[in-house]
Amino acid sequence: MSAKRKTTVAVLFGGRSVEHDVSVVTGKQVMRAFDPERYEVVPVYINRDGRWFTGEPLLDLKTFQNEVASLKGIKETILSPATHHHGFIISPVSGLFSKSEVQRVDVVFPALHGSHGEDGTIQGLCELADIAYVGCGVLASAAANDKIMTKTILQQHNIPVVKGVSVSRSEWEDDPDTVIQRITKALPYPVFVKPATLGSSIGVGRANDEAILRASLDVATNFDRSVLVEQAVTDGVEINCALLGNGEKIRASVLEQPMSFEQFLTYEEKYLRGGEGMKSAERIIPAPLSDELTAKIKDIAVRGFKAIGGRGTARIDFLVKPEQGEVYLNEINTMPGSVAFYLWQHEGMSFSDMVDELVELAREAHAEKRRNMYNYQTNLIEVAAMRGLKGIKGAKSPRPVQS
Amino acid sequence: MNFLLILVIIAWLIGACVRVYRQARFYQIEEYMSARYLRWLFGERQRWLPNRPLAAWFVGTALGLLSEAPNSPLPYIIGVIAAVVAGIPPREKEVKKAFKRTARATRLLAAAFVVAALMAITGNAVIGALPDVEEVRFVAAMTWGVALFLFAPLWLVLGNVLMTPVEAAFRARFIAKARHVLEEANLTVIGITGSYGKTSTKSYLAHILNTRYKAYPSPKSYNTLMGLCLAINNDIANDHSLEYFIAEMGAYIPGEIKSISELTHPTIGVVVEVGPQHLERFGSPENVALAKYEIIKGLPPDGVGVFNWDNTYIREMYERGYPQTRIAVSREANAPGDVHFTASNVVESLDGLTFTVTDRQTGQQEEFRTPLLGLHNVTNLLLATAVAVHERMTLKEVARAVRTLQPAESRLVRRVTAEGITIINDAYSANPVGAEQSLRVLGMHRTGRRLLVTPGMVELGELMESENRKLGETAAEHATDVILVGAKQTEAVKTGLLAAGFEAEKLQVVDTLAEAMQWYQANLKAGDTVLFLNDLPDVYLS
Repeated sequence: MSAKRKTTVAVLFGGRSVEHDVSVVTGKQVMRAFDPERYEVVPVYINRDGRWFTGEPLLDLKTFQNEVASLKGIKETILSPATHHHGFIISPVSGLFSKSEVQRVDVVFPALHGSHGEDGTIQGLCELADIAYVGCGVLASAAANDKIMTKTILQQHNIPVVKGVSVSRSEWEDDPDTVIQRITKALPYPVFVKPATLGSSIGVGRANDEAILRASLDVATNFDRSVLVEQAVTDGVEINCALLGNGEKIRASVLEQPMSFEQFLTYEEKYLRGGEGMKSAERIIPAPLSDELTAKIKDIAVRGFKAIGGRGTARIDFLVKPEQGEVYLNEINTMPGSVAFYLWQHEGMSFSDMVDELVELAREAHAEKRRNMYNYQTNLIEVAAMRGLKGIKGAKSPRPVQS
Repeated sequence: MNFLLILVIIAWLIGACVRVYRQARFYQIEEYMSARYLRWLFGERQRWLPNRPLAAWFVGTALGLLSEAPNSPLPYIIGVIAAVVAGIPPREKEVKKAFKRTARATRLLAAAFVVAALMAITGNAVIGALPDVEEVRFVAAMTWGVALFLFAPLWLVLGNVLMTPVEAAFRARFIAKARHVLEEANLTVIGITGSYGKTSTKSYLAHILNTRYKAYPSPKSYNTLMGLCLAINNDIANDHSLEYFIAEMGAYIPGEIKSISELTHPTIGVVVEVGPQHLERFGSPENVALAKYEIIKGLPPDGVGVFNWDNTYIREMYERGYPQTRIAVSREANAPGDVHFTASNVVESLDGLTFTVTDRQTGQQEEFRTPLLGLHNVTNLLLATAVAVHERMTLKEVARAVRTLQPAESRLVRRVTAEGITIINDAYSANPVGAEQSLRVLGMHRTGRRLLVTPGMVELGELMESENRKLGETAAEHATDVILVGAKQTEAVKTGLLAAGFEAEKLQVVDTLAEAMQWYQANLKAGDTVLFLNDLPDVYLS
């Protein structure tokens, strides 16, 4: 028997999200990046309906359609929130041929994009289970997932953002005229209309006049209960920057400039252009910006990441007007497509090194949380039992216990 | 009158059964080893030949025979009364290790009662075969009864022998289950052994590792093969969140650690101290060392051995060169170069220990502060640090974790009573090194009288006499008052005390711990300090 034991990593991909397919690509890339000498990868596929599956065949499955459930070697699974399972329950409902068993994991890698994956929900489940997980925590994930909340937080930290107005679905349905008035008073055309919490570009519209604005709001309110109307930055370029690290030790990657910003990116353009996800999309790395502006963007990226309490990794998207030197933080993706590994490759870091570091950062963050005390023994229950449940307030006599 | 005779025998039999039940506790304390139990039983006459049943038999027989009336039931009534008197259990001294009704104990008792029933039937048959003279039969019944009573402890031994194959089967199944659980769990197993300090080191290491990982220390002093199997089957089987299993490995017989290693496959082995404890069972410290070395031999070649370099026996283990990765720690700042972790600037005060730990391979240094007392804890913490750093924790993290340590249960726990008296409790199998440390801590209290309460040390084999004398000499230095519990076993302590010039009027010898408690409650006041050193299991007191 050897002294070294492998680290078991569950890679979650798919998901009940419009970005299901992108996540499948990211998930497969991530699973391939782990060094099999040191890691044991447990693939966990979440289908579009939110059913969870695991099993060896997922590692090299080509298509992820409805047939997954019926494949040989694929079993249903759930991530247990109970701390002593510390992982997945395979075949949670046991039957004649499927005995329930526990699959312990060391780390969860949620390679999930958008809703029910990048928004703090999976993160919350991992917190309950007391399992280390890659990427941002519950609050940062949830905040970054909501464009309105992100903007509010960033403004508080004096980080430059594009001006915007938030509109709730009910407000829009009840009194559209007042809403239009409010928007036009605050923002000149053209504007972007975005559902607050959706990733990618789904439901997003660009409006040059009131008619299109109304139509865009109609569309956007179908996707979310609040909508952000943002001033469009004309003559701007999109610049992305990835981050790695926890706490005070966060470093920014080289900057990239995705191409074809003139016309708004449609969903197909953004993700489905050929082959392997983001990698082959046209982009310029490093972005052709002055050293000064590059440094400024990297600095804002790090500050923005800290402002939302981020950890692990993220890709931060900016709108930049190079001539004027204007920079606006546009969006924080806490689980970017392909985990933005292509940016780190430019820094001389392989994808394999990167997942190593992500796992290490996850464990570090988890260790940090382990330092918190969750057990605080009181005699409250005994006192309550003695007195009846009334008058418990004056009865505290706590004594701390290490957990 | 056969019926009345049987009644007498039954009365004795019930008393004997009560005796068996009471004795089972000591059998348990001696870990179901018949030889050890018998050695204890015959160690003192009162244990195997108590006065009361003898007296009851004598008086009962005499009275019974004196009644002249023919066919009178009186002798039998007297006989029953005598049996009941004999069977009333003697007053127990403080029960420190209560009888636990484990499945095994129940099986043993059942077997013992089967033996008892056979004996009773035999007795009846024998009496039935005797000449039909009332007196002869009566005396025979009484004698058989007292014999049943006196030999009751032997039923346990017989029962134990009868149960041997059954127990072996149970054991095998239990061990196989534990092995399976561990295989499934895929934990890093850390083995810790030593003549003393292993329980403390285990709990400190668990505390440190738990600030980053999830470690499960074997509970209490479950340090035998079966104890560890119990821990594995009960706790590890149901908890998948664990990353480390810290197994305390005791060696009561040579080969025990080897069998534990074969079960648990530790990849990290820690040897804390080798010294004169349990010498009665091993003969010499060299034999103890040999038994402890099994933990290192049980490691895989790419495993990690962690050694207390300050102990000559353990240093010798370190120098043998197995396994490849060996980490030595030392309390001496100028230990030779290959010692990996050292402590310097050790300051011990009543607030705890402060010392600087140096990782000589990286040159890093951290100041450790801990509420623990006793210099031996510096060694224990260095050993725990070596493991934690090997498991990728930083020295800084370890230093931070160490601040929140609590003394291991009932090891040098200090508290102040409502009356302002400081109580130091070192109530666990004291050993020469630990005892000296505890006395030094007692000596640090300068506000009032310093009382030592101790029954002396046991299980030191031929060193018992000299080590206890040394204890007395050290006590004379640090204590202002001494209460010795139990005159016989504390003689050497007393000799040591008086030899070192301790005033005889400050020294008293009492029979029970309760008396000592009464005395200190009546005579000590705020600012005074009491050290309870070594709370003995009942085996040695009764």
